[in-house]
Amino acid sequence: MEEAPKIITNALECKHCDTPHDEASLFCHECGYPLKGTEEDVAKFYAKRVMDKRKSKDAEKKIKSARTTLYVIAGIIMVFGFFIFLSSKDVTALIINIIVGVIYIVLGTWSKQKPLIALLLGLLLYLTIIVITAIAEPKTLVSGIIWKIVIIAYLGKGIHSASSVNKLA
Amino acid sequence: MDINCKHCNNLLEQKVKFCSQCGQSVVKTVTNTKIKNVNIIISFYIAMLVFMVIVYFIDLNFPFNLEADLIVETGFACIVLGFASLNFKPVLRLYNIKQLNLKLIGFAVLTPIITSFFVYFFIEYANYLFSDVEAANYYESYQYLDYPLFWSILFIAILPPIIEELAFRGVLFNQLLKVTNQKLTIIATAFLFALIHFSIFSFLWIFPFGLLLGYLRYKYNTLWLGIIIHFLHNFIILMLDYYSFYSF
Repeated sequence: MEEAPKIITNALECKHCDTPHDEASLFCHECGYPLKGTEEDVAKFYAKRVMDKRKSKDAEKKIKSARTTLYVIAGIIMVFGFFIFLSSKDVTALIINIIVGVIYIVLGTWSKQKPLIALLLGLLLYLTIIVITAIAEPKTLVSGIIWKIVIIAYLGKGIHSASSVNKLA
Repeated sequence: MDINCKHCNNLLEQKVKFCSQCGQSVVKTVTNTKIKNVNIIISFYIAMLVFMVIVYFIDLNFPFNLEADLIVETGFACIVLGFASLNFKPVLRLYNIKQLNLKLIGFAVLTPIITSFFVYFFIEYANYLFSDVEAANYYESYQYLDYPLFWSILFIAILPPIIEELAFRGVLFNQLLKVTNQKLTIIATAFLFALIHFSIFSFLWIFPFGLLLGYLRYKYNTLWLGIIIHFLHNFIILMLDYYSFYSF
């Protein structure tokens, strides 16, 4: 007599998150728990949860390093602008570098709220600027190419992670 | 809001996180399509970027060449149409005229008058002030042809608005809507639209211009308003160039 009510609650509620279910469900629609699975299925379910948790933590880290990358680019560009200004008194270069630096900082700050779009625009801005400088001076394309690849990789990983971190999740 | 599970095709009646029949994560399949769509956006932009570089070198090696100009425009149209063909129906739907009325068209005619005069006199002056280079006269660069007015109108005022509106307010806009909301889509398309023009000073006015065009595209679901505004804007600037070419 004591066992009976327990079985009924088990059939209707998910063991993991207590979400109510109808009889036909094989998996919990809230957490993916195998309602009618074997012990092995349950073990797999918990193993996967641990992995997913680690993945989302990893994703946040990657978004953060992509954001830092944007700030670093902004800093380098602005310092470079001042450097050009001091050596050649080129006001235009200074203004352009400051504008671009400010855009990077805005995108970096924005990536706290909207990581996907902010990082995407950051990456495309970076690629555009590489192309513009390469048109003006083809040599710049090759100089520091490893840094360019590293920066693109960081931003790309950030975008990838930002598209996995979902509002639904 | 009914959707089917992508894995086993089971009908999901409400917003659930996992399919109750096969246990597949719905979020995960959403994520995968999201990554795919983001990749399409990046590829589309890079394709345009590479194309701009090619255009630059064609211009350098074949200046004042009608065939080169025609090939360049066709190439751009091909890239845009190629990406549009990935998802053609929603793009085609943007060419409807249902929501157009006199008031809107009036707005679309008046706005470019303001923007074009502002850009022509204020921005070109700022550009001149900082870069010491006289802005190119758009009309003058087609003087080598027999009918410079016809060709300059075609290449400056007619073709770019049609192709660019399709590229940014059509293809890119639809693609971005798949990964984010409308507000961010408008901002992102305006940002990229300003970026591809390759000029930091112009960025400062093309960005708000793109925001306006993006907003109209979102509000009225049509590309025609953007095309009209974009066309008149370019056309008036060209006519000012035409006027200044013959008055000096």
